[in-house]
Amino acid sequence: MTHVLLKDLTRRFDDVIAVDNLNLEIRSGELVAFLGPSGCGKTTTLRMITGLLLPTAGDIQFDGKSVVTVPTEKRGAVMVFQKHLLFPTMNVAKNVGFGLRMAGISKQEIDRRVSEMLELVRLPGFEQRRPHELSGGQQQRIALARALIVSPKVLLLDEPLANLDANLRLEMRELIRTIQRETSTTSIFVTHDQEEAVMLADRIALMFNGVLQQFDQPQAFYQRPHSAQVAHFFRNDNLLDAVRKADHVETAAGTLEISPERVNQPDGDVVLTVRPEDVQLIPQNDTNLVQAKVLTQVYMGTYKQVQLDVLGNTWLAHGPVDFDPEIGATIPIQLPKAHIWLLPHPNGKS
Amino acid sequence: MNRLKLMERLTVPLMLFPALAIVIVLFGGGMISGVGQSVGYFPVIGLEEFTLQYYQDVLTDDGFFESLWLTFRLAFLSTLFSSVLAVAFALVLRHAFRGSRFLTFMYQIPIPIPHLVVATGIVLLVSQSGLLSRGTVALGLTETPRDFPVMVFDRPGVAIQLTFLWKEVPFIGIVVLAVLKSVGPQYEEIAQTLGANAWQRFRYVLLPLILPGILSTSIIVFAFVFANYEIPLLLGVRHPTTLPVMAFRNYQDPDLALRPQAMAISMILAVVAIALLVAYRWLARYAVDR
Repeated sequence: MTHVLLKDLTRRFDDVIAVDNLNLEIRSGELVAFLGPSGCGKTTTLRMITGLLLPTAGDIQFDGKSVVTVPTEKRGAVMVFQKHLLFPTMNVAKNVGFGLRMAGISKQEIDRRVSEMLELVRLPGFEQRRPHELSGGQQQRIALARALIVSPKVLLLDEPLANLDANLRLEMRELIRTIQRETSTTSIFVTHDQEEAVMLADRIALMFNGVLQQFDQPQAFYQRPHSAQVAHFFRNDNLLDAVRKADHVETAAGTLEISPERVNQPDGDVVLTVRPEDVQLIPQNDTNLVQAKVLTQVYMGTYKQVQLDVLGNTWLAHGPVDFDPEIGATIPIQLPKAHIWLLPHPNGKS
Repeated sequence: MNRLKLMERLTVPLMLFPALAIVIVLFGGGMISGVGQSVGYFPVIGLEEFTLQYYQDVLTDDGFFESLWLTFRLAFLSTLFSSVLAVAFALVLRHAFRGSRFLTFMYQIPIPIPHLVVATGIVLLVSQSGLLSRGTVALGLTETPRDFPVMVFDRPGVAIQLTFLWKEVPFIGIVVLAVLKSVGPQYEEIAQTLGANAWQRFRYVLLPLILPGILSTSIIVFAFVFANYEIPLLLGVRHPTTLPVMAFRNYQDPDLALRPQAMAISMILAVVAIALLVAYRWLARYAVDR
């Protein structure tokens, strides 16, 4: 149970700024995802929290106390890497008990807690196995047990599900979630997979090029993205230039009604967006209709994905599986008022 | 058994045969003739009766155990110091820093240089008329070259040790370095986040990982130094000398009657070396797995 505060955290490598002025507050017991494409600075941030990397500037605080000068081995921020999980020269019991052994805990106590931990990660009786005898998922769970046994202040997971196949990912995700709740360990995990972040995290910190884009609950990234880049990362490229005027926007396709209490951009130039799953391919009434040309349609199993040309912008929309528009035809689509979200205009004049 | 299965079973032995034949004929032949001579079968000088007399002669010789101890001490200390220094160098050289590649290259230079050349170099460096001695005189640290400590033709065998160190440190080090580089820093980083201090990370994480490399190379070094005759012959005192030198002198003696003794010494040397290596391997494993 540790409250983590990152204050103006910056890390430079020669001329490259890997992490730029990061400010983040992680609540005690929270599970936070650092999300972003590779090279966005998420792993660098993780390493700075562990102390394996020193920040160029800024501060890291655990429960209000700066830990920047506290060496890694005394900091209590335990890292689980995606590769090189277990010490290959030790059996499972020695791996899991490693942290306690380093702290000089008695062998009996270590044995007792190791078997407790193995119960927790649902691998009881695995004490004598060697790492190479375990599957990828089992290794992952042992690595988790080894980290949790020292009751870390902060648990850091580097792409915890990256090396697992689809079924195991699901299982592992549930396990991490359950254990994290049971132990209420403040946890941060790094991932480039937005689905993983959404399904696992209480809150997500999305980073591009070392800069924090948005720190929010998962649904906010779908419903209220801060920018077109954020929307794009969450697979929404449906954009349309617009000018907000109080309760409506004016676009080249005509005037559209918006929910003023939902959107947060002031009057002026904005970019309008509606997520693909919220676009109505079969209009329910006459409001907020826009003409769109059908470019392609792909059957996706549970829905039909239709690619549209909306005034020169390529949009995606999801329709029922029996929806079968003619390619090249112009059809009216409806942008429901409750699902219209406004993004700042890239010209900055919003 | 059908023919196909028979062929399959014979493939590997047949393919190995040319190499095995050479080993068996050259090595095995030498061994057999050596063992034969040591137990009294040496028809050239008319010896044909089995006897353990030569072993008895050798083992009851006053100088034998002194020589055995000297041989063991030289091999043990050379192996110990080489291993420790090699690990230390490897720990430094595995990090990338300015000039690390050049340094790693320099570090490997001793490997292809023959022991004899190194021995000559060491004499020029550390003998009382050598460079170091003159340097200390020039710096006023010693008054005359004779004040410089005796390191060549000395009883402790300092120059011998230095020669072996110069040659064997890079040999062990290059293997350890390769292991360290392939292991990468992550295991240590994990250990560090789990609370292991620098010593614990080395002792419990790195050492077990590099131990197989250290073991296999240091065993080669030990066996090599234990059986080496030219360096102690060149740089050591005449008495006491090491067992290989003793065997070599007996072997070279114009009196062929000393030949069986030379062989007996060689056989004892081989048996002791094998026993020590087995013990060493076992002890090292036990110490690290503890």
